[in-house]
Amino acid sequence: MNRLRPMQRPASFTRPALASLMVLVCLALGCSTHAKRLATPRSLFYDGRLEECRTSLVKLEKSRHDKDVVNLDLAIVDLLSGKPKEAETRLKAARDRFEELESTSLTEKTVSMWTDDQVRSYAGEDYEKILIRAFLSLSNLLHDGSDAESYTLQLQEKHESIAQRIGEAEPDKPHAYRPLPLGFYMRGMLREATLRDYDDAVRNYEIASSLLPDCIPLQWDLNRARGGVHSQPGNGVIYVFALVGRGPYKVEVTEQPTSDALLIADRIVSAAGPYKVPPTIAPIKIPDIAVPPSDISSVGVSVNGARIGETHIIADVEELAVESYRATRNTIVARAVARRVIKKATVAAAKQSMNTEGLSSVGMDLAGIAWEATEGADTRCWGLLPNAIQVLRVEAPKGQAYVELTPLLQGRPVGSSKPVQVYMIDGRNSYVLCWFPDARSTSQVITCTNGLSSSAVPVSPIGSAR
Amino acid sequence: MDRREWLAGLGTLMVAASAGCKGYQYGHVIKPDAPNLVGSHEAGAEVFDPLVDEAVAKLLARQQIVTADTPIGPDGEPLPKTICFVGIENKSAEDIGDFKDQLYQQIDSRLLEANSFRSISRRMVDAALYETRLRPDSLMIPDNMRLFTAVLERQGAPIDYLLYAVLTSGTTTRNSSKQRDYDLTLELVNVHTGIADKQTAEVRKGYHKSAMGKVWNYNPFKR
Repeated sequence: MNRLRPMQRPASFTRPALASLMVLVCLALGCSTHAKRLATPRSLFYDGRLEECRTSLVKLEKSRHDKDVVNLDLAIVDLLSGKPKEAETRLKAARDRFEELESTSLTEKTVSMWTDDQVRSYAGEDYEKILIRAFLSLSNLLHDGSDAESYTLQLQEKHESIAQRIGEAEPDKPHAYRPLPLGFYMRGMLREATLRDYDDAVRNYEIASSLLPDCIPLQWDLNRARGGVHSQPGNGVIYVFALVGRGPYKVEVTEQPTSDALLIADRIVSAAGPYKVPPTIAPIKIPDIAVPPSDISSVGVSVNGARIGETHIIADVEELAVESYRATRNTIVARAVARRVIKKATVAAAKQSMNTEGLSSVGMDLAGIAWEATEGADTRCWGLLPNAIQVLRVEAPKGQAYVELTPLLQGRPVGSSKPVQVYMIDGRNSYVLCWFPDARSTSQVITCTNGLSSSAVPVSPIGSAR
Repeated sequence: MDRREWLAGLGTLMVAASAGCKGYQYGHVIKPDAPNLVGSHEAGAEVFDPLVDEAVAKLLARQQIVTADTPIGPDGEPLPKTICFVGIENKSAEDIGDFKDQLYQQIDSRLLEANSFRSISRRMVDAALYETRLRPDSLMIPDNMRLFTAVLERQGAPIDYLLYAVLTSGTTTRNSSKQRDYDLTLELVNVHTGIADKQTAEVRKGYHKSAMGKVWNYNPFKR
């Protein structure tokens, strides 16, 4: 077999190689984090300037890597602007896209080791995937309700697949995955509304109740489903869903890698080539969870002048985000460390192969430093989620009901009430969606009286109140 | 590192960059005679289809027996019995999700196909439950049954029988293997006399953590 003889390196080779390294550096340059890009839309959103927020988000949507996550934020803007149908369309697109991204792309995985995690398509956190389906169901209930049950079934299916995946990955931890009670609650709520499938309602309320053992209203729901009826003749039911507080989001922080992370990084690097992770490494940039302070803890609900009670948490988004981050933190740090090692090794290999000396060598070192410096943390997340999703169920006589929603902090009113009229149908559910990012919120309240598709009860149009 | 080696590495990277693909999904239509998928974690069509077939067939076979009390039509044939299929209760260890409504429709359709039964529309059943606000599991209380049948009569759908379907399960565990027996019970109650008839179908299924679990636990040499 003829072995090729080593080629004589032309004198001009160093320059193009250096140039190609510079090109690589330039490709990775100018990457601000998603958190920074989202700062303006977030502030517009919390000021209640939803149209301006939408315009600002639409501009961000043009970026290929931000598109999917921005779509989720736009869905929230649509929903709170009284456009649940548009929100549903966006959420469906996000759901399908995240499903598609569940198997990792080899391309993106490889490229991300040479740039940063921001070049990878955002496949969503587990809790975001669950919340997408919960919001899909909620959006659907707020316009016609025909697909709401299907979305809760999909939610359940997702729960099962996540639990299965985590169970297989961590077989020693029996409760490695803690599901979101919201999904079970919504499924129970819809099954109870059939006035027939109380057994399904019991099953779902039982799970929700076991996840939130201190939640007394859930015990009431469970007892009613076990032995009572959906509502007394002549009464309908209002479900007040409140999006309370400003939700968590990711920010970039500089971090010293832990020994656990270095161990994982070593495995990644060893798999990539003949490299070793050094025992210590300079600080790296990783995402962290920021939780804005909240001046509201729940929403007080009055119906026809009578104070009924306050909403209770059914999805603690803050806790979910923090838990989810904790579970993946070591892997994120490890990837950043591995990336640093691979970049250093690439520069060293390039220098060695080109025998660079003097100024060329310094130039390549500088390019290498610039390459590492351009790296940013992946701070993409569903940024316009509330701090918590809360709910209250109220049974009231059929006809017009005057509902007042008051922001509360530890049970005390901290802002002005929002009045809204809801049309109640005998034996049917009506839904109210309100949003209180803070006590001074001026957002609108979305309402919908929903007739079951299997019944002949007319569906009233969506109403909104300022 | 040799330059050629370095270039080869870069080439590999380029190939990797062009080769990666995301998780696309594909679908296909399953031929009617093709076997069902067997669920790895819970019951699916492979359990429910035979359960419905067997339970309905057993019930029909029993109800076609003509007795002295059987009302006979002018043509000399037994009159079909009007039944109200109240619903399916899932008392098994698993959530059956979207199967519940499908099971209802399957059982209802099979009963309608047989000439011995005449089923009333589910929408009428729902409307009667809505009007009376009675729970399906409380219809056996005499007052509730009278109220419920009276509402159906007023709607123009008098009934002779109430039909309940109950799905139950029993689980036996042996180390990392599990056997689950699924039972579908159809319970037919005569609203005039209170006499009940009941038929049960059973499908047993094994779940194993390893591929050899089936062979290990269910072989002819095992007691």
